[in-house]
Amino acid sequence: MRHQRISRLASRAWWSVSVLALAGVLVVLFGIFWFVAVRGVPALRPALFTTVTSGVAGGLENAIAGTLLLVGAGLVLVTLVGIGTAIWIVEYAPPRAQDVSRFLIDVLAGVPSIVVGYFLYVVLVEGLGWGFSLVAGAFALTIVMLPYVVRSSDLALSGVPQALREGAFALGARRATVLFGVAIPWAIPGMLTGLLVATGIGLGETAPLIYTAGWSNFMPSLAPTHSPVGYLTYVVWTFISQPFPQAHALAYAAAALLMIFIFLTNLVSRSAVEYWSARSRRG
Amino acid sequence: MLQAPDREDQPLMYVTTTKNAPEPSVATKLQIERLSVFYGSFQAIRDASLEVPENCVMSLIGPSGCGKSTFIRAVNRMHDLSPDVRVEGKVLLDGANIYAPGVDPVTIRHRIGMVFQRPNPFPKTVFENVVYGPRIHGIGNRKKLMEIAERSLRHAALWDEVKDRLDKSALDLSGGQQQRMCIARVLAVEPEVILMDEPASALDPIATSKIEDLIGELQRFYTVVIVTHSMQQAARISDYTAFFLMGELIEIGTTTEVFTKPKDKRTEDYITGRYG
Amino acid sequence: MNNLTQRARMQPVLGVGTGIAAFASAAIVFLILIFLLVFAWPAIRFNGSGILTGVIWNIGNQYGSSTVTHNGVTAQAGASFGGLVFVFGTIATSALAMVIAVPLSFLVAVALVYRVPRKLQPLANTLVELMAGVPSVVYGLWGIVVLVPWVGNQLGPFAQAHLSWVPLVRGETGSGNGLLAAGIILALMVLPIMVATLRDVILAQPPTIFEASMALGSTTWQAVTRAVFPSVRKGFLAAVLVALGRALGETMAVLMVCGAAINQFPSNIFQAVNTIAAVIVSQLDSALTDASGMAQRSLAELALVLFLITLVVNVVARLTLRGADRSAQ
Repeated sequence: MRHQRISRLASRAWWSVSVLALAGVLVVLFGIFWFVAVRGVPALRPALFTTVTSGVAGGLENAIAGTLLLVGAGLVLVTLVGIGTAIWIVEYAPPRAQDVSRFLIDVLAGVPSIVVGYFLYVVLVEGLGWGFSLVAGAFALTIVMLPYVVRSSDLALSGVPQALREGAFALGARRATVLFGVAIPWAIPGMLTGLLVATGIGLGETAPLIYTAGWSNFMPSLAPTHSPVGYLTYVVWTFISQPFPQAHALAYAAAALLMIFIFLTNLVSRSAVEYWSARSRRG
Repeated sequence: MLQAPDREDQPLMYVTTTKNAPEPSVATKLQIERLSVFYGSFQAIRDASLEVPENCVMSLIGPSGCGKSTFIRAVNRMHDLSPDVRVEGKVLLDGANIYAPGVDPVTIRHRIGMVFQRPNPFPKTVFENVVYGPRIHGIGNRKKLMEIAERSLRHAALWDEVKDRLDKSALDLSGGQQQRMCIARVLAVEPEVILMDEPASALDPIATSKIEDLIGELQRFYTVVIVTHSMQQAARISDYTAFFLMGELIEIGTTTEVFTKPKDKRTEDYITGRYG
Repeated sequence: MNNLTQRARMQPVLGVGTGIAAFASAAIVFLILIFLLVFAWPAIRFNGSGILTGVIWNIGNQYGSSTVTHNGVTAQAGASFGGLVFVFGTIATSALAMVIAVPLSFLVAVALVYRVPRKLQPLANTLVELMAGVPSVVYGLWGIVVLVPWVGNQLGPFAQAHLSWVPLVRGETGSGNGLLAAGIILALMVLPIMVATLRDVILAQPPTIFEASMALGSTTWQAVTRAVFPSVRKGFLAAVLVALGRALGETMAVLMVCGAAINQFPSNIFQAVNTIAAVIVSQLDSALTDASGMAQRSLAELALVLFLITLVVNVVARLTLRGADRSAQ
């Protein structure tokens, strides 16, 4: 039948289109990786790690330190708040409050990070007069990372088999004992994955930091407020629009460093998941 | 009242009936010659050969894991969908090998329909489910589709139950109704052979007996091959029964013969309940 | 035993402590809304409906001492905070991104599920994850150096020569910075969300749906588009909405390639645009020079508008997802 021949040809044609689409996306993706590698890696001179930015040249020491400091501080905060939130949602919240908090966390995940940045600018930088600072930047990253950490920890804790909990309770254990002795150890791989995903996101963020951390050519001072902090993504954004080759080299180097950091985070999170799941399989 | 399906708009078949075929009193619809099926290096079916006469019901019985489902999935080339499965041997439909080079499996599945173990309605309306096949094959006329839907649903003894909710989701039907709708969906494509893979195994006894009655009716117009785990069911509905054990076709004969005087010791053991 | 009693004593502390954490997390959304609203309030009174209907964004004369007062609120003389260009740009770039990304993500996802050999699938999934992890400034960098020149020097002239009969393509094509470049970058950035979701919901379907279609004599493509896809449509729609929310709020990559238009609309897809998110960043320096503070407050009002737009999109996405879960049961 003619119609069947057409269907057959259409099927083949569409599958070809779909495989081509996949190939095309992969080509663009590898194109981006290649582009960053080819331009960024040669720009990675050792001096970058030991000198600070000056004007549109110099090194990236301040930006690397700033990025690590901001993400590190954000991670500490988000671990406390995010995992705390997840524990409350799973272990303590009444069902209705569970639904509401999950919904609000999901909504927070959808809030554009620039809005978060401007909100903190209004409240902390201007309102409380902290100025561009480490704490304001760390808060911004915390809010941006929070939904990922809550969601993954929530999933991990909710996934603890009921039988495991009941078994512990049946032995006379109290809630906190069950939580720390049974539930959290079981959920650690999931929580860790969430934290690592959040780290990747924190490393790559720019928009919420512009209005909170500001930018500084100097090494971060560790003062919590009134002292702006530089970070790598800022370098990529501003230095590529400068008309100087040294500035471009810095932008490429910063981009390459970011990609390397993010690859490493991804690698660590994969091996951590494998390690933990292998461990829990062994029992 | 059942009507014979209208064969007027049957598509031109890729294979035509062979002229030299012998003319027994009952024509052979399906002839399977030395069929073997491999999953990777594991051989699930060994050299099975059997013939299914036209307009009859054949049951395939045997303990679970004996390969009976694997066997019927080879008959409409469903194994083509799994890259790790290899099929050897011949399946002749009206004398032409469906595994011959150049034969399109899509055309074969059009002629040999299949009903699955669990009802698998599409998440669409009852109407859209039933006319899925005709739509796929290019019929777009709503009136024509409506005729097909009514005829198929009547034929599947479901029309009276669903005629007022054709535009409701098929997922809202009961399990038994869903399975009969899936049968109607197969009938709408107007196949010549219908394969059924334990079609009642997920249903309650009442729904099961409806499906069994339906199979009895279908036999007048179609050739039916049914896999069942229930020997009672095989005895109730089929003209012929084939017994499989560990990938081998042990015995085939009329249902009465197989159940009352089996030739093989292993068949007898199974029938009398000495296998699980 | 000592250990156990210690832990038992911790219990109320733990409940209260985690409760505070949860309350704080849940309250953030409201805090954002309230503080932006309070801070933007004078601007809301000053601008009236102009923030959504006005085309001119001008912080006014910084050097004169003259001011202008409207509704009891004072700003620099000549100030006008019309955000229509940015609202339009936000919606246009995201719409273009979705026009590209929705069909593309469908094609890519079905290719991943049905055409990539099983052994290569973990690798493919890793790539999708990595693509989602590329920072937005890196997309922007690639946009500035590779994509924009390509759009400006190759695609633009080609379109001018051969596609001038197409309404939104006709006309000046410019440097390559603009709506099209922003749309392409956004499409790439949101693609992984949709691909990963569609892949997951397809794989979560029982294979019987696919088989049922094949057994009725469909081609594999028909089985995927007519039987499998309809059963995962809601899940995909939710992913599309989440991706749309992401695109609407995306800042850096768009900022770097959009051409930063002010006070004008693009007349075709090649011309400069600006989005709310991008303008908030690019206007920071000039807003800080506004002694009356009205420019900063108007940016907060824009942030509020963006917040509300993405809020609606995300709430609809959640509700769709909930509906999808329910119908899957």
